[in-house]
Amino acid sequence: MEIKESVFLITGSSSGIGEAVAKFFASKGAKVTVVGRKQENIDRVVGDIKQAGGEAIGIAGDVTSEADTARFIQATVAAFGKLNVVVAAAGIIKDGTMLTLDKETGKVSRKLTLEKWRAVIDDDLTGTFLTLRDAAEAMVNGGWEGLLVPISSVNKIGQIGQLNYSSAKAAVALMPKIIVGEFLMRGIRNIRCVGIAPGYTATPMLTGMNQEALKEILADVHIGRLIEPNEIAQMIAHCVENGALNGTTIEITGGLCNANGIAK
Amino acid sequence: MKSLRYNDIDFLIEKTEGKFNIFRVIPDGSYAIVGTGLFPGQPESQAQESAQALVKTIFPVGIKVVGPDVSHPHPIGEINIVGPDVGHPNFIYWNSDSTSFPV
Repeated sequence: MEIKESVFLITGSSSGIGEAVAKFFASKGAKVTVVGRKQENIDRVVGDIKQAGGEAIGIAGDVTSEADTARFIQATVAAFGKLNVVVAAAGIIKDGTMLTLDKETGKVSRKLTLEKWRAVIDDDLTGTFLTLRDAAEAMVNGGWEGLLVPISSVNKIGQIGQLNYSSAKAAVALMPKIIVGEFLMRGIRNIRCVGIAPGYTATPMLTGMNQEALKEILADVHIGRLIEPNEIAQMIAHCVENGALNGTTIEITGGLCNANGIAK
Repeated sequence: MKSLRYNDIDFLIEKTEGKFNIFRVIPDGSYAIVGTGLFPGQPESQAQESAQALVKTIFPVGIKVVGPDVSHPHPIGEINIVGPDVGHPNFIYWNSDSTSFPV
């Protein structure tokens, strides 16, 4: 699929990886729908795209709402006449171990709250499902060639303190295999699905963290630095252009290892 | 530059190089870009209609508190409650904590 003149919808694109992806594809001549929670951030990203000569619309909304995900698709088609690539990059973290013990008594003093569990599962898993489902529906009904890109994480293998996030991202990583299998079963041949599982990426969340902690993280990364959001955008671009990539989730980590150099 | 008003929000439509840009007027008088590079080749009248349809989708009708219409011919007591347009195609039942309510 050609990037130029294709229509992209990117959730979570008012900041972080999603923002970089939206700007990257707009700079390559794609038409882009920017979706995020905060109107002022959306205005900024769409303004930047216009400034750079790109084409975009911005929509504020909540990926956990069926009404909102349907609206993102509807607006994209109303603005650009079709939809080709969906990048489901919206996600949140609400970390905490499942149980915390009192140091003196050894008894459980705190539990991971249902609120934290549900918030992450709703946003990172259900939000991705709704986005992909409604986008695929529009692509099938419109007869448009398409690519679905759920954004997983390298922490899909299981990260301490992220039971909710890792569970959601593991499920998201599984989606391409199932979705493509179902497409094959239903005779849908012109829509692919490729997941991306980024490693530690230079988003404000990481670059703004304690520098000592960041150094510890980077000690496990073979290339010795955070991944740039643009490098993830380049990987997605390759997925768009290479029609053989399908039904899988690709890791882009810079070579993430544990402290003993064993592949993580 | 043409203007349109929808859901208490003012929008401006600008044509540049055969395409249209839509701006939203922010209460402080500045502008935010709703969309750029839209409706290529459409005549202005058609683009105006397309823009209206697009902003209705992007900024759907929400529940808005409407004060009493004291001039209404059939007030209930002293207060007339005007409900939202639930028949609108883009009507959304907002959750109380929805983040997608347009500010």
